Amino acid sequence: MTNMLRIAGLAKRYGSVRALEGANVEAAAGEIHAILGENGAGKSTMIKILAGVTPADAGEVTLDGTRLALGRPARADRAGVRTAFQELSTVPGLTVAESLLFRREPSLALGFVRRRELNRHASELLSRLGLAHIDVRARIDELGLGERQLLEVAKALRDPARVLVLDEPTSALSTEDSAWVLGQARRAADAGAVVLFITHRLAEVRAAADRLTVLRGGVDVLTGATEDFGDDELIAAMLGRRIERLYAERTAPRSDAVLVVRGLRVGGRVGPLDLDARAGEILGIGGLQGQGQRDLLMALGGARRWLDGSAELNGAPFHPLSPREALRRRVALVPEDRQREGLLLGHSVQANVTLAALAQFVRHGVLDVRKETLAARSVVARVGLAEQRLPDAANTLSGGNQQKVVLAKALLSDPLVLLLYDCTRGVDVGTKAEIFALMAELASAGATILYYSSDLSELVHMCDRVAVMVEGRIRSVLESDELSEQAILRVALAEAEHYRSAPA
Amino acid sequence: MTAWARRAAPTLSAWALCVVLFAIGAIHSSGFAAWDNIRDLLVFASFVGFAAVGETLVVLGGGLDLSVPWVIAFGGIQLSHWASIGGGAGIVAVVAVGAAIGFVNGVGVAWLRVPPIVMTLAVGGLVQAYLLAIGLLQSTGNQLPAAAVDIATSRVAGVPIVALIWLGVALLVGGLLARAALGRKIYAVGASETVAELSGVDVRRVRLQTYMLSGAFASFAGVVISGYVGQTYLDIGNPYLFTSIAAVIVGGASILGGRGTYWGTVAGAMTLTVLGAMLPLFGLSPAGLDIVYGIVILVGVWASTAGGALVLGRIRHHRRRSPQLPGAEVQHAP
Amino acid sequence: MSAATTAATPSPLVRRRSRRIPWSALSTAAIMVALGAADVIIQPNLLNLFQIGLLLQTALPLVFVAAAQTLVVLVRGIDLSVGGVLVVANGLTVVTVGGAGGDHQLLLILVLVVGLAAGALNGVLVGVLGLQPFIATLGTWTIFNGIALTVLPTDGGTPPPWLINFTLGAVGGVPNTLIILVGVVVVWRILCATKLGIRIRAVGADEDRASLNGTSVLAVKLIVYSLAGLCAALAGILLAGATSTGTPTAGDAYILTSVAAVVIGGTSLVGRGGGVGLTVMAAMALTFISDIVNAENFSVWVSVAASSGLLLVVVVLRGVVEQVVERRHA
Repeated sequence: MTNMLRIAGLAKRYGSVRALEGANVEAAAGEIHAILGENGAGKSTMIKILAGVTPADAGEVTLDGTRLALGRPARADRAGVRTAFQELSTVPGLTVAESLLFRREPSLALGFVRRRELNRHASELLSRLGLAHIDVRARIDELGLGERQLLEVAKALRDPARVLVLDEPTSALSTEDSAWVLGQARRAADAGAVVLFITHRLAEVRAAADRLTVLRGGVDVLTGATEDFGDDELIAAMLGRRIERLYAERTAPRSDAVLVVRGLRVGGRVGPLDLDARAGEILGIGGLQGQGQRDLLMALGGARRWLDGSAELNGAPFHPLSPREALRRRVALVPEDRQREGLLLGHSVQANVTLAALAQFVRHGVLDVRKETLAARSVVARVGLAEQRLPDAANTLSGGNQQKVVLAKALLSDPLVLLLYDCTRGVDVGTKAEIFALMAELASAGATILYYSSDLSELVHMCDRVAVMVEGRIRSVLESDELSEQAILRVALAEAEHYRSAPA
Repeated sequence: MTAWARRAAPTLSAWALCVVLFAIGAIHSSGFAAWDNIRDLLVFASFVGFAAVGETLVVLGGGLDLSVPWVIAFGGIQLSHWASIGGGAGIVAVVAVGAAIGFVNGVGVAWLRVPPIVMTLAVGGLVQAYLLAIGLLQSTGNQLPAAAVDIATSRVAGVPIVALIWLGVALLVGGLLARAALGRKIYAVGASETVAELSGVDVRRVRLQTYMLSGAFASFAGVVISGYVGQTYLDIGNPYLFTSIAAVIVGGASILGGRGTYWGTVAGAMTLTVLGAMLPLFGLSPAGLDIVYGIVILVGVWASTAGGALVLGRIRHHRRRSPQLPGAEVQHAP
Repeated sequence: MSAATTAATPSPLVRRRSRRIPWSALSTAAIMVALGAADVIIQPNLLNLFQIGLLLQTALPLVFVAAAQTLVVLVRGIDLSVGGVLVVANGLTVVTVGGAGGDHQLLLILVLVVGLAAGALNGVLVGVLGLQPFIATLGTWTIFNGIALTVLPTDGGTPPPWLINFTLGAVGGVPNTLIILVGVVVVWRILCATKLGIRIRAVGADEDRASLNGTSVLAVKLIVYSLAGLCAALAGILLAGATSTGTPTAGDAYILTSVAAVVIGGTSLVGRGGGVGLTVMAAMALTFISDIVNAENFSVWVSVAASSGLLLVVVVLRGVVEQVVERRHA
């Protein structure tokens, strides 16, 4: 077959984490090929290799039978691989025009940039793509996230592509903008490019992708034409064989309200929000990524300024101005990014675990190290981490164990309310089960847990109720019978439904 | 390799460097290992050591204090102006004002969010201006109180008092960092402000405290140094800007914060002092000394970061074929 | 799909750029103009090209060192070794170039190459070995100081006469020093207009994203640090011309002052932009301060206090304004 992108036996490991273990993808020119998989399945790593950001440990990428020289972004670019990164590659300090035509600046001798030409080319590019409303002289950091994401796609489209990689290009986009991205992907495919389309939204896959490949645990587990698979089949392939009793038994929550929030507004885009959480309840916070869930949990944990609103904790007014105050009221936060927000990576597990509760072990400013060690031992035992790991540096632990350390840190402050932000992301299944068991145990002991997860089935199985957030507000609170993955998605995607009807 | 050894490695390697240099000096010239010489080395090293206490704490907390040399000069000069209130009280007062100068630094860095380099530079400049002003306004005798001279020059059983004080300070600061809640918090703030904040550490207060301690110790260093020299002058602190930071770095601390010990700084101060004393024996001019100083710092830092990890990795690899790659900490699980 | 394609005119979030007011440039210019006006009021005879030329003669070494510092700060570095490069160049100018006698202007190129090489060494330490800029240049600072003392052990020597004449000279009544000052700003503007200018801004704003776009961060840093070395060497040459002698210990005072000039100018230490033009204005402001102090016969402390005070006030005010603006936007 001609014009074929062949990714064969791609492998990559980071330290002890195997991100890719011989993944294969085959995609023909002119087709949009979706790559699906859970977080941690290896999608991002595959994209990084294709874009030349990281070299692969093993395997090769061939196009039309010739091996593509990757390994550096500039080389991948020369090979005709154009990538729209999920992390966005437009540089904040530059203007839109400079960013769009980076390394393509029209210039005279000695590298003089012809600025007028530059702006004109950029304007033309944007109007050609239907984005004429973006001012090419604006600076990237003046733009909103959505506009930056549109520009990211535009930048990948500025030159004809042999391979066009779109990594979750619609995560911050409105419905119309997402449709625009899908349209551009189709156009590029029609022009003869291989389009790799990475997304979490099955609806978009149905709307746009001709064929697809599902990755799981660093290998490809399913590939074929999109219409050959039902949603259930795809989800099953992504999730793999569920281990027995992944989700722990729950006891019913009590009726007394612990945390009552009224009219909370955070930042410009989140709120006003009302929330009631009961003792012993696990309240899920659902919705697509980036709908304000993070701001909500951070605000309750004292890490975001409240613009407005009030709250009561066990009947007493609650408005923490710092995480310190929240912890004093026994409200503990497990933040999103365990490496940047949760852990002192170079420090020992023990120092990490006891950091938020140091006051318990201090007399006259001096640490009672024995008392500290005892407490650390008992709390790591609760999260299922061997006490031999206490002196080890946090960065020598696996992702799952790192998450346990962050959880242990929160537990040591004996929380009434535990705010968990996506604490099962990038965590192996065994650890997930342990985390769920711990959550169930804490809840049955009377703690209130607010739990955000990007994984719908986790929300459905672990939560008593799920508040679905859309664009900074709680669109709906689902409970008992009405609580299902489909129901959550239906609320979250209310506007995105029409993808299903669009022809592929 | 145990976790303890891994953490102590930079400190130990700083001590090893110090011992090796001393041995070279001793082999080359018999007088080098004589008690008289060692005693002088200890005294000079203690000056660097006092000046570097604050720098260690501030750097561990992820900051930097460029006002140290001017606060050192302040310690000596102000003390001579306050001679009338008595030596002991004068020293206490000078150290307290040093802490107050640190307070200003801390407020600027922690509350006004001025970059540490800029804040401490500006405050240092203001202290310098003040010293110039009082130096010109009251040019009376400027005798240092006897207490300062005594501290700097007397001995107990042949051991200089400053060396003993330094030992005491090292035990205290070492203990503070290892065993006090404040020490833990300083490390946490230096390693990651975000994590510390989210873990309920009052980041701003911790920052403020490190700068105040830095000011207090720098002022005390000024008292001791001018007591030893027997007089005060404006530029007395100048050499200590470089050496205090260098001692911290050679002692294995990370300039980015969160990693290092005061005992490492002690080793760094000794290393620099021994180096300074022995190079002239090899016929090196002060100019040559500067060059070697610079190279030692660069090699030391490279060894304690990238190079050190490489060498350690090799050793570990040879000892038991551990499959763990170095640098796992920077990688995200994708 | 065609329906989606044509219907897909993305959200009409029309954002026409309101002309941004360059506050940092304006505030720096205001500071410079205010201090310059004060200086002129105190010494009316300053309004004369010859006097301006003399004033600039003392200002230019700082201008060049501060320009060097700005370049490095723009890529989120800091260069403590500028003072070291300055004194090496200063020593070479009196010993090698001055010692050669006669009209060996070309020997200056040698001095500039040494400066370039010294800067490149910093670039290698930071870019290739990955050392922290502060530490790397702390080390090279002492090394260069040592080299300077080897070249010229004590104050003394004389630069070539033509260099002294040049710094005092004028073209058609316009002092050479003024031409050089304007030249610095013009060269900077030109640099900004090149691809290199865009790369420098990109690396300063976000190294990772710049490299994601295929820029070699290493190459940009090497070039920037080398250019900084070149500027610092020029400062050393001009200092020799201005003082008619060599001073191997002159460098240290310039290091922190150059940082102060960068900060007062408004260049961000954390990669939020700035430029050499701003720094030149700030360096001139600092020069006016010491000139006023000299003219009024104030004691030295007034000058030190005024420069430090200016630094503190400017930086604190900017910080406060920034926080207020952030709150507004939050």
